[in-house]
Amino acid sequence: MMHTENLKRVWTTRLDAKEKRKSIVRNLVDGLVIPTDRIVEVMEKLIRPGDRVVLEGNNQKQASFLSEALAQVNPKHLFDLHMIMSSISRPEHLDLFERGIANKVDFAYAGPQSLRMAQMVEDRKLSIGEIHTYIELYGRLFIDLIPSVALVAADKADRFGNLYTGPNTEETPTLVEAAAFRDGIVIVQVNELTDELPRVDIPGSWVDYVVVADEPYELEPLFTRDPRHITDIQILQAMMIIRGIYQKHEVQSLNHGIGYNTAAVELLLPTYAESLGLKGKICKHWALNPHPTMIPAIESGWVESMHCFGGEVGMEKYVEARRDVFFTGADGSMRSNRTLSQMAGQYAVDLFIGSTLQMDGAGNSSTVTRGRLAGYGGAPNMGHDPGGRRHSTPAWLNIMTSEDSLARGKKLVVQVVETFQTGNKPVFVESLDAIEVKKDTGLAIAPVMIYGDDVTHVVTEEGIAYLYKADSMEKRREAIAAIAGVTTIGQTLTSNKLDQLRQEGLIALPEDLQIRRSDAKRSLLAAKSVEELVEWSDGLYEPPAKFRSW
Amino acid sequence: MRLAYLFPGQGSQRPGLLHELPKCEAVEEILEEASDLLNESVYNFHSEEMLGSTKAVQIALLTSGVAAYKAFEIDGNKPDFVAGHSVGAFGAAVAAGVLEFKDALKLVELRGGLMEQAYPEGYGMGVVLGLEAHRLQSIITKFMDEKQPVFMSNQNAPDQLTISGTLQGVQNILDEVQKHGARCTSMLKVSTPSHCPLLSSVSNELTEALHKISLSKPVVPFVGNRRARLLFHPDDIRQDLADSVSTAVQWHDASTVLYENGVRLFIEMPPGNVLTRLANRAFPDAKVLSVTENGFDDCLYILEKNRRKK
Repeated sequence: MMHTENLKRVWTTRLDAKEKRKSIVRNLVDGLVIPTDRIVEVMEKLIRPGDRVVLEGNNQKQASFLSEALAQVNPKHLFDLHMIMSSISRPEHLDLFERGIANKVDFAYAGPQSLRMAQMVEDRKLSIGEIHTYIELYGRLFIDLIPSVALVAADKADRFGNLYTGPNTEETPTLVEAAAFRDGIVIVQVNELTDELPRVDIPGSWVDYVVVADEPYELEPLFTRDPRHITDIQILQAMMIIRGIYQKHEVQSLNHGIGYNTAAVELLLPTYAESLGLKGKICKHWALNPHPTMIPAIESGWVESMHCFGGEVGMEKYVEARRDVFFTGADGSMRSNRTLSQMAGQYAVDLFIGSTLQMDGAGNSSTVTRGRLAGYGGAPNMGHDPGGRRHSTPAWLNIMTSEDSLARGKKLVVQVVETFQTGNKPVFVESLDAIEVKKDTGLAIAPVMIYGDDVTHVVTEEGIAYLYKADSMEKRREAIAAIAGVTTIGQTLTSNKLDQLRQEGLIALPEDLQIRRSDAKRSLLAAKSVEELVEWSDGLYEPPAKFRSW
Repeated sequence: MRLAYLFPGQGSQRPGLLHELPKCEAVEEILEEASDLLNESVYNFHSEEMLGSTKAVQIALLTSGVAAYKAFEIDGNKPDFVAGHSVGAFGAAVAAGVLEFKDALKLVELRGGLMEQAYPEGYGMGVVLGLEAHRLQSIITKFMDEKQPVFMSNQNAPDQLTISGTLQGVQNILDEVQKHGARCTSMLKVSTPSHCPLLSSVSNELTEALHKISLSKPVVPFVGNRRARLLFHPDDIRQDLADSVSTAVQWHDASTVLYENGVRLFIEMPPGNVLTRLANRAFPDAKVLSVTENGFDDCLYILEKNRRKK
């Protein structure tokens, strides 16, 4: 009897370890509240060397107080952390590695720190697990990257640890869930402690500690595009997109990237698209952040619903006042959810459209440049055809090219680019810089943002290539070359070939879409400045200071 | 906002540059100290005639940068980071507390003299606009004549690069890149093939000289020229100061590292505005001022406003 009992496995080691850690800091905390000035000391005790730490930081909301505190711990006591972060954005995110507190990272995006990332990989101060898409990273939090500690940000907490995250809920619930239900430790920085929350976004029983931050979490107005910077070329592209893609395929649900060319599409809906009689037929359902440039379309009755990854600074009051459109809580404020909106954008919409810095002759695209390690944003999730999709929509079915009895539709993945970037750099290239970056950094695969075989349409100032119609790689390359302008790739095509491709419907020039280049003028924009967006919103939109010119 | 001071390198000089410094005690002290160390008035070094000499240029640039830095310091202003382009790195090292001004002056005098003597004639530099580094490198590799060595040198912006070598070799490569998509090229008014292996003997002598001086740990992080890393150890800074003269200055990367470290306020020490213009183009949302362009008092005002916000 004694023998078998000794061998009996303990099934609560994780919980026991958590309780032990919590008991060590019992005298330093006040119940579940960590005093603001003790955060570094408490972190040094609650977190252990080698821990997997998920730190909230995406391209909008940042747990900035906690990241700054973590960078101040003593690396003699706390080291070798394995960080998991969707976005490496703030200087101290990499200071963690420079100081030896952490040594490994799994992430999705590192644009704002892309040079330091490349340098630290080269200097072996940091090793990369993988560069993920958002959904992959969130998925692995529940499979093989389960965090021991979650460091996240909320607007408000009550004394039971219930959290209000409101319009900026973003990825917080996902990160907390992954730690909370595997006996990880959840520490939340809050802008304020209050007696009554507007609503509960995350229940207190998922939360171990809250700490009042010395200043509100950082929030970046990432999705604000000033219409002043939209050019006539972008307007021409927007007209082609509306007529040659949205109307042609009857695109009803979609996501837009954050470029000026898609902002132009948004601002042409109430003007150009309306004149084509398309209202109510296209662009009704959106997986999209509350882009200020969507205000005129919303006000003109184009938008039935919009689910958001995150909020947008200054749009809070406007969104609250348009409850029929946005996902809104009983308290009246919006609720975003990055994980669910990414998934919706991947599986549930007809179309994704975005831009890139480089595209090769086969349509593979990348925003990676040499000597920089940037990762991806939301594009690779939404910019691909999820093979398991079942539900049919007119657009999804419309680009089915096979007669097979088991044939299925396809997600529309559109890349819109000008043939040259600023500084005379061609967008169409023979080989992506991503391949060099792979060699330089020892990544397992080249960091391609959107794979060519997922891309159904490419739009340039020259015209549209309908790649989904190409029945061979050769045709696909020809169609891309036909709209690649005077880049090396573009110059491979003869004018005879161009006419043939037009006849076959593989490419369309503006005139094929009954668009006159001379009509593409800024006067078509429903709003030509941030000021006019504010007017459209009835004064509800309150742009951040940097976008105010008046 | 985090603050960085930038110290310009050769090319920023102009006659009478020391007269443009703010009039204050801190500046006077540096100018006097320089004159004492040089055994002649430092004002002898900034005349149009003298600025034809690399050595004089470097002495004048170092003195100007350090004097302005001291003038800011007396008012309680300390940067969060420093960086200097080429000889500017010596001024940055003084500001970082790594070198004393007297040692920096001796080193710069030696450096300028050695650079002048290395190739008295037939060598120089050119600038290429509108071509990326890997394209330029492949053109050099393909077209360089071994008897006319040419090397890619400074990366001032992704599309603004310099090459160094023999005058004939540099001209040949400039002709080739014109045919291969460069937007603009020109020869620089420089008589030394700076920042390429042709000057490795200068690096060796500088290393020796630097080893005779004791360097202190930086009190302000310093960005190196050669690999564009933040350097925290005196040994690393010593090596960078010595190597830089015979290796390319990765200026764009160095300033990008500052930006990624959160710098949003850059102030360029006098003379000139070369680094200001590069930073303005590279970081549109940062505030970039130069003492020469904006004036010392305006820079001081911005610094104090920034300090109050911290």
